[in-house]
Amino acid sequence: MTYPAILPAKGLADRLTGTFWRRPGLLLLLLIAPPLLWLGVVYLGSLAALLLQSFYSIDEFSGVVKEEFTLKTYAELFRAQNLDIIIRTVVMATAVTLACAVLAFPIAYYAARYAKGPWKAAFYLGVMLPLWSSYLVKVYAWKLILAKEGILGWAAEGTHTSWIIDGILSVPFLEGSSLSTSPFGTFLVFVYIWLPYMILPMQAALERVPNSMLEASADLGATQSQTFRTVILPLALPGVIAGSIFTFSLTLGDYIIPQIVGDSSRFIGLTVYQLQGTAGNTPLAAAFAVVPILIMLVYLSLAKRAGAFDAL
Amino acid sequence: MRSEASWGLKLAALGGLLFLHLPILLIFLYAFTTEERSYAFPPPGYTTEWFAVAWNREDIWPPLWLSLKVAAISTVMAMILGTLAAAAMARARFFGRDQVTLLILLPIALPGVITGMSLRSAFGVLDIPFSTWTIVLGHATFCIVIVYNNAIARMRRLSGGILEASADLGANAFQTFRHVLLPNLGSALLAGGMLAFALSFDEVIVTTFTAGQQSTLPIWMLNELVRPRQRPVTNVVAIVVFAATFVPILIAYYLTRGGSETAGMGK
Amino acid sequence: MTAAVEFQNVSRHFGPVKAVDGVDLTIAEGSFFAMLGPSGSGKTTCLRLISGFEKPTGGQIRIFGEDVSNTPPHLRNVNTVFQDYALFPHLNVRDNVAYGLMVKGVGRSQRHAKAEEMLALVKLDGYGDRKPAQLSGGQRQRVALARALVNQPRVLLLDEPLGALDLKLREAMQDELKALQHKLGLTFVFVTHDQHEALSMADSLAVFNEGKIAQIGTPRDIYDRPATRFVADFVGSSNVLPPDLTRALGGPAQWASLRPEATRLAATGPVSGTVTALRYLGSGTRVVIRAGGTEIAALVPAGQPVPTEGATTAIAFDPQALHLMGAI
Repeated sequence: MTYPAILPAKGLADRLTGTFWRRPGLLLLLLIAPPLLWLGVVYLGSLAALLLQSFYSIDEFSGVVKEEFTLKTYAELFRAQNLDIIIRTVVMATAVTLACAVLAFPIAYYAARYAKGPWKAAFYLGVMLPLWSSYLVKVYAWKLILAKEGILGWAAEGTHTSWIIDGILSVPFLEGSSLSTSPFGTFLVFVYIWLPYMILPMQAALERVPNSMLEASADLGATQSQTFRTVILPLALPGVIAGSIFTFSLTLGDYIIPQIVGDSSRFIGLTVYQLQGTAGNTPLAAAFAVVPILIMLVYLSLAKRAGAFDAL
Repeated sequence: MRSEASWGLKLAALGGLLFLHLPILLIFLYAFTTEERSYAFPPPGYTTEWFAVAWNREDIWPPLWLSLKVAAISTVMAMILGTLAAAAMARARFFGRDQVTLLILLPIALPGVITGMSLRSAFGVLDIPFSTWTIVLGHATFCIVIVYNNAIARMRRLSGGILEASADLGANAFQTFRHVLLPNLGSALLAGGMLAFALSFDEVIVTTFTAGQQSTLPIWMLNELVRPRQRPVTNVVAIVVFAATFVPILIAYYLTRGGSETAGMGK
Repeated sequence: MTAAVEFQNVSRHFGPVKAVDGVDLTIAEGSFFAMLGPSGSGKTTCLRLISGFEKPTGGQIRIFGEDVSNTPPHLRNVNTVFQDYALFPHLNVRDNVAYGLMVKGVGRSQRHAKAEEMLALVKLDGYGDRKPAQLSGGQRQRVALARALVNQPRVLLLDEPLGALDLKLREAMQDELKALQHKLGLTFVFVTHDQHEALSMADSLAVFNEGKIAQIGTPRDIYDRPATRFVADFVGSSNVLPPDLTRALGGPAQWASLRPEATRLAATGPVSGTVTALRYLGSGTRVVIRAGGTEIAALVPAGQPVPTEGATTAIAFDPQALHLMGAI
């Protein structure tokens, strides 16, 4: 038997398929609507609420939030103590990002260029596991390490290198009774926690550098270090920038690490947390939360111009 | 180009990996210490009593159940929403596409404290009382992108022709979804779900803003870190949390081997 | 006899890009029809218009007399052998071939039996349990063919099906496809950019250029009497003569084509030039003469004197062999 050239539509599924075919936009709309509504309402809606709150102020005597538009709360950000917090946070985020880039490079470079077969898998897993595994557990581990009586102090005593730790702890701005109460400890933990976020995009960018390009460079008479500087680094840069988006942004907003390790000097995240919690000053907390948004928007637009999104 | 790495590079790379892993091992060690008031190293003695103590601590179980519940619900919601978003974005070109991509990425591109503070503000403005659902709202939002990333990476690797081939052979849209798209996407979706579960289970930054007086396991842990009671019990819980995230991550890795789904984009 | 496929003034524009522009086309039932053209000429878009993966922005398409403007691909009893085969990677070869029957609701044992039958037809008996990844390119191509035939389509569409195969395999498959088409009596619509493939396999063919059909006809028509300068350039090895040269040779001031076999060398004549290249072909020698701005090839049969490179010679030809054509 021969079938007809055009088959009849049987049932709802066939007819709906026909409708989707005739109106391709309809299917797209049906697919994108639920996630878009969710993100639009829950996420953007909340951001709007945050912005709204940041234009309210708090009555200094009663401690009640006045729901009237004012720029007074934003003006408070420019008080010396608040500016200090912002500057301290940005400096920390920059330092952490730079340290992550330096530490990540050999790992990413080795994994991208030399690791083969099972080693490659081991490297990949070795970076991915710490990235995804429990954040709080990792922070806790460092509390154990940096405690005065902890493993680092023990090792330093055993190798007679306690003077190094004491030296770090006597540097201005890094003072503390032990590493776990020094800003240097905070820095160390930040670097540790966010390092994998730098390695993966960096490795991805380096893997995209074709070997033939390195050979061409060597062929043209470039030395190892010239090839490195003029070919590998520029090509790895989008990966570094992509990674830095994470290290920078995550450091800007974190409020757990400075709470657990460090000299309890305040960072933006911690300030937001304390202002909305114990202090009950939601407007100022909201205004503080807008700061990292602005910083990240500038950062993202710069990164976009540098072509970092292709490396994500 | 040398085919062999220099010793300096090898050492630096290996050292970096060790740096990433050794601290976690300490958590395990301290779960067995007999010293409960400080983090003295080496531990003065070893015992397994803390596992029993932790088991019998009644303040641990409710947070554990809450964390499991939140992670399970958030994962399911993120899988549905993330898959839909990926299906829409995989091939279609439409006006505003870049903006939609940005919107999906934003919850992880901006610091968690902003998501948390924003939700907190919204609950305040709308007078929404804290509940399991306020926690889920936040978790599902930042988990969408994880499922989305996994799904879209797999869709890009799939030959676009097989969907057309299915229709060409007489399958309607639903048959194509069931017989072609789902089997090819399944493992990537499952991997995305695993990672979303792991992320939700140990999330603390957003949760503190959306939980009110409720306590998830990470919030319980955070309180113990700030005001320690029996330190080794915290280690026992930390091991549980670590295992609860470690296992799904490993499964996700094996499900997406050979692809690039889990690389690059982090939480 | 009804036409298998009929295009009436069909266009497919993508914004300002006119991928297909006002095409009229009739494909007879049971014919082996080729669509030939360079990439971007609109031939693949035409194929996708027949299968339904593109919708016309103008005009009407009929399949066996029925207007398909409102018929989605899955309801068109037309099947495609895709360029990259598009085999389902998660299904074994048997289930790939049986897929079309499965979605129609045919029972497992029945569709598997039918799939085996189709595999035998393409000489792949015994390969049913393999996964597509375990097959060679040629074998995948056969699976794609079997899969497309299992539904007993009224028209089989083939999108550059031999493009990915090496030369030897390609020639073998050309013969097999032709034999298969004869055996099944099906209408084959075959897209290719390879003029030899189109000329040797098709009963009739359409030459596409910039979204339009430059010429439709039998292979002989198109080879011997190209309608336009483009067709002559793309299909043949003919000499393409610009209007002034045609006139100098005694014809009207129009573009013309002249086959090398019909071109001779002479001592004197209205047009002469310098010999720029010689190529010995066994049966003769191909001599290229540069006259004015045009290169003209002449085939000198074996045994006749061949000029040396750089020599000056005039051109002669059989006036009947001069074929006039359009400028585009």
